[in-house]
Amino acid sequence: MLVVEDLAASYGKDMVLQQFSAQFRQGQLTALVGANGCGKSTLLKAIMGFLPVTRGMVRIGGREASTLGRRALARRIAYLPQANHCPDYLTLGELVRLGGYARYSLLGGPSEKDRRLFYEALETVGLVDMVHRPVNSLSGGQRQRAWIAMVLAQNAEVVLMDEPVNHLDIKYQYAVLELVRSLTLNHGKTVIAVLHDLNLAAAFADEVVMLRGGRVVAAGSVAETITASTVAHVFDLRADVFRRDGRLVCLPHVAVQ
Amino acid sequence: MVLCAALLAEFCLGATTIPVSVVADALLSFDPDNYDHYVVLYQRLPRVLIALHAGALMACGGLVLQGLTRNPLASPTTMGINAGAMLFVLAGAYFLNLGIDGRGAAALLGGMFGFATCLGVARLAGLVQDQGGLALILSGALTSMLLFGIANAILLTDPTRRTDFLGWVSGNINHVYADQLFRIWWIGLAALALLCVLARPLTLIMLGTDKAASAGVNVRWVRCLALLAVVLAASSSVAVCGPLGFVGLVVPHIVRPFAGADLTRSLPGAALVGATACLLADLIARHAFLPAVVHTGLVLDLVGGVVFALIVRRYYLTAGRRASG
Repeated sequence: MLVVEDLAASYGKDMVLQQFSAQFRQGQLTALVGANGCGKSTLLKAIMGFLPVTRGMVRIGGREASTLGRRALARRIAYLPQANHCPDYLTLGELVRLGGYARYSLLGGPSEKDRRLFYEALETVGLVDMVHRPVNSLSGGQRQRAWIAMVLAQNAEVVLMDEPVNHLDIKYQYAVLELVRSLTLNHGKTVIAVLHDLNLAAAFADEVVMLRGGRVVAAGSVAETITASTVAHVFDLRADVFRRDGRLVCLPHVAVQ
Repeated sequence: MVLCAALLAEFCLGATTIPVSVVADALLSFDPDNYDHYVVLYQRLPRVLIALHAGALMACGGLVLQGLTRNPLASPTTMGINAGAMLFVLAGAYFLNLGIDGRGAAALLGGMFGFATCLGVARLAGLVQDQGGLALILSGALTSMLLFGIANAILLTDPTRRTDFLGWVSGNINHVYADQLFRIWWIGLAALALLCVLARPLTLIMLGTDKAASAGVNVRWVRCLALLAVVLAASSSVAVCGPLGFVGLVVPHIVRPFAGADLTRSLPGAALVGATACLLADLIARHAFLPAVVHTGLVLDLVGGVVFALIVRRYYLTAGRRASG
């Protein structure tokens, strides 16, 4: 379980995250939603220790994250940044193998157990056949799954994803999020993902945390959080929120007819 | 596996060309006394070792710099390290009367000075944040020109000693530098070993600093150690045979398509290809223009200049097409 208590973080002078507290339970997919610049990505970076945290703390499995070294933290929390670029000629197999870095000794490579894990990771994302292909030769959707395979190879209990379906077409958006969902259901991962599309968040997330100006506006189940009033408050947007076939749909009003 | 075999073949090819050239050189030798064995042992062997040393170090340095800056034009030459090392060696010899023992230390200090100047200029220009790392290359070019200018000025102050350094300044593989190699080879080897140990975290850093840190890499430490190793490697190479241009720039581009981007494989590959390139360049320098013998550095500059243009074309002039395609 990942617990964040009263976290505050800043870029230089700008406070971009304030008094953030939340608990992320094992096996749950939590969606972070909010307007651009509301502190979603900042929260993930602050949890990873990439930003100076001015207040509060992050606890992972009972230990304070800031007291863990990089490698120890990497064995507990994996992170998938928003924009990933892979050097030319790096193959999928090599990328996945790099995911296990935190478990390697200085000169040693992956163990037998690691190799099994890598194969399972590729199997989970459905790219076993592509293992020798350069990552940059894969399609957009495959590439995103390749990065997820690397994250799986890291074998951390918590996975942070910054806009994992950005730049993907709608089919791959659903495919990738179904994959992410299966990580929580079948692999017991705790996933915290920044999502822009409220309908995607409603379809896949167990919990939703809505942010505005670095503060939590609403947190809880999909039905509790995504309402016409919170959408109006968080995005300054008038929208209808209704149920269709058991799923929550958020339909923004369009001013020009 | 196929790649490893290809690299091995590459190495064997280099190794077999050595004995062939040794024999050929022994026959064609300018040595009037025809002391073939003497020539092989005291002229050819040192030359081969110097070429291996310089080629491997420069190529690995370039490979790591290109990975760290994510810029295909990064290399010890284009980032001011070589020029700095050269300037300090010259200055040390001219003003402090440093003997051969002090030359290595002067080169190491100079390499660090050159690289620090390059970083400083880039920071002054306020362009360090740019993604392509182009600012670093531009400031590296600026730094190199400045330092080369000063070095030439120093060279011109004393015509009597100019000839001692004239060959060295343009980068030359010459058996008389063997003494220097004998003193400094272990620094280059240590730097290379350090880079090999850091190969995996360095590959991760090529994926981006946040990604690398999240995978368990202490980015700051790995980066500092790797840059230190690169500066040590390039400077020790310069101390021996002067600034051999373009090996560090070009060889990584030859190696990557075959050995891949993973530094655990491309570093040894770069070392082998770099060494081979220097040997070939030396051979060309000595035999292509007979009876004239040109400097190895000049041959590398000639070949490198052409390849440099090709790299610019591929990465910068066609960037728009690559992005849209």
